[in-house]
Amino acid sequence: METGRRQFIAGLLATGIIPKPTWADAGSPSFLSAAALPDGTYVLCGIDANLNIAFQLPLPARGHAAAAHPLKPEAVAFARRPGTFAIVIDCVTGVQKAVLNSPAGRHFYGHGAFSADGSLLYTTENDYEAGRGRIGVWDVASSYARIDEWDSGGIGPHDIKRLPDSDVLVVANGGIDTHPYSGRTKLNIATMKPNLSYVQNGTVIESVALPPEMHKNSIRHLAVSPEGAVAFGMQWQGDGTPPRLVGQHHRGCEIALMQASRDQMRNMQGYVGSIAYAHDGTTIVATSPRGNTVQHYDAASAQILGSRSVSDVCGVATTANGFMLTTGTGQLASLTAAGNLFSKSEAVQWDNHLIPILPNATTQT
Amino acid sequence: MRRILLAATVACAPFTATANPSITGIIDDHILPRFEALALTSQALSQAAMQNCDPTSDDLRTAYGAAFDAWVSASHLRFGPTEVDDRAFALAFWPDSRGATPRALATLIADEDPIGLDAVGYSEVSIAARGFYALEFLIYDDDLMNAGNSAYHCTLVQTVTADIAATSLAIHNDWQTHKDVLLSPGPDATYRSDEEVLQEMLRALTAGLQFTQDSRLGRPLGTFDRPRPTRAEARRSGRSALHVVLSLMSLQDLASHLAVSDATLSDTLDRQFEDALGKLAALNDPIFAGVADPQSRLRVEVISQSIKTIRTTVGTELGPTLGVAAGFNSLDGD
Repeated sequence: METGRRQFIAGLLATGIIPKPTWADAGSPSFLSAAALPDGTYVLCGIDANLNIAFQLPLPARGHAAAAHPLKPEAVAFARRPGTFAIVIDCVTGVQKAVLNSPAGRHFYGHGAFSADGSLLYTTENDYEAGRGRIGVWDVASSYARIDEWDSGGIGPHDIKRLPDSDVLVVANGGIDTHPYSGRTKLNIATMKPNLSYVQNGTVIESVALPPEMHKNSIRHLAVSPEGAVAFGMQWQGDGTPPRLVGQHHRGCEIALMQASRDQMRNMQGYVGSIAYAHDGTTIVATSPRGNTVQHYDAASAQILGSRSVSDVCGVATTANGFMLTTGTGQLASLTAAGNLFSKSEAVQWDNHLIPILPNATTQT
Repeated sequence: MRRILLAATVACAPFTATANPSITGIIDDHILPRFEALALTSQALSQAAMQNCDPTSDDLRTAYGAAFDAWVSASHLRFGPTEVDDRAFALAFWPDSRGATPRALATLIADEDPIGLDAVGYSEVSIAARGFYALEFLIYDDDLMNAGNSAYHCTLVQTVTADIAATSLAIHNDWQTHKDVLLSPGPDATYRSDEEVLQEMLRALTAGLQFTQDSRLGRPLGTFDRPRPTRAEARRSGRSALHVVLSLMSLQDLASHLAVSDATLSDTLDRQFEDALGKLAALNDPIFAGVADPQSRLRVEVISQSIKTIRTTVGTELGPTLGVAAGFNSLDGD
């Protein structure tokens, strides 16, 4: 029946007489994730609330994160850094609508975000000769033409998110200088200085850094609470066990770092892969594929609440009653607020990030 | 007869307890000798510079080569004493994509900055102006070896070498106590178990292979359309290919310690290292100048590919024997 409707819509699209397709026409996926198939090829998947794969569309190389358009059933899948392509996919028809190629002298970092009205797409990029982070600005209506480029406020911008009910972007400037000709080699660990920058209409309006003794903690992944608080996950580039790997920031305030015991820190192996807020913003979940660990923090007290082992866990996204996790072993796991874990296995390797499709988009008809 | 016994041993291997990698063995046979050699040769380098600071001095250049060899052979051991106060970076600031090293040195020389005359205070200068790569500019770069006032230049060479010697000695001294950290894991210690210690060694092997492939070979290779021979490591002193050889030999030694419990795997790794080293020996291109020519470029690409093969074996076969699964997400970052 689902397929019938999708084929019907596809037919309508072909004839040009169309009701505007919505995410419901894409099988009402709740999440997007890139994945590797057993035959070694790569896909972008839509995953519904019942943990079923709603659709599966081919990608030319390994993906990383994706961005879901806030209104239309359209997604942009980003190549893994230092990739130079991003693909716009119509999630109803499975047709590739546009390809974004990073301009000469730039590569993507694997993350992007849409403006509130869905008219613009923002991408994190490396101006690798200058060693500066950039934000590419792409016009959705004109087939994702590149229309502008902004400074990201630092080196090595990775994740980018939009604050709720605004067009303020928050960027994780990881601080690590890389150059595609040296693969993923890090060029400036001794002098790196990551920051969290807020960017509005091309201007960096606020930037916060870590304390000096933590300058080797690369700020990489972001989550935004309904109130606009920003949680971030870090990756430690120094020796030994990092003091902290998760932080939270409210605009105009100092950074607060989430506390955990030394043992709990060691379990994360210096590496947070993804981060998410609970739907009410009160707790934060961070995953570590290297440590095979999921940690849960209380946002207000900045204290750890608990942790559990999940093999090669990385993707995490918010659900109405908890979190959804994905793993490189193919698990799709629903973690409830009560701490129960229900999982389902698919014959794929889920890639780093699980991207929620916004509720207002899924309910639109 | 010996061959038959050996065959029997191999056949039984999966069913009997095999020897685990010896942490003591790795410390005594792999780590400590390398840092001792680094301390000794760096000391000799500093002394050579005191006796003759002329950039063209054979004695100075020979001592420089010996000490740099020792560093490259130890450069994958990036944990513990090398990471205190960024000592490893103070010895080896490379790659330097933005040209910070020649810029910092040119400024020191042009200003005749007094810090360049102060062997102790020199640790406060830009990290890009310290270590073996900075010294290479001072004694091999056409411009910088002749730049500025010759007396200042002479003292700067002596200062940089003394700073290298002090850093190398500090690493060596710290290892005398740091080895106990590796030998005494526990619930409240740096490492909780022997397995975690071995995983640190595995990370050193993995990162060393990655650096050699991505930077030592990847930087000069660039892309087919835009090869970058001038980005080859230490090309001014003609050491680019030598560094690949030295690092692979060191990494081969570490890999053999780590793979000791699996004879088949150990053989595979040995063969793969020998393959890469053999191809390098046959290349006969000390600074990878050939990357700009399509035919000779291919031979450098094949060497890079052979290191990739080693990395795959380490990630998918050696890692799991040491309790590190080759996870899709855990394997190589975001």
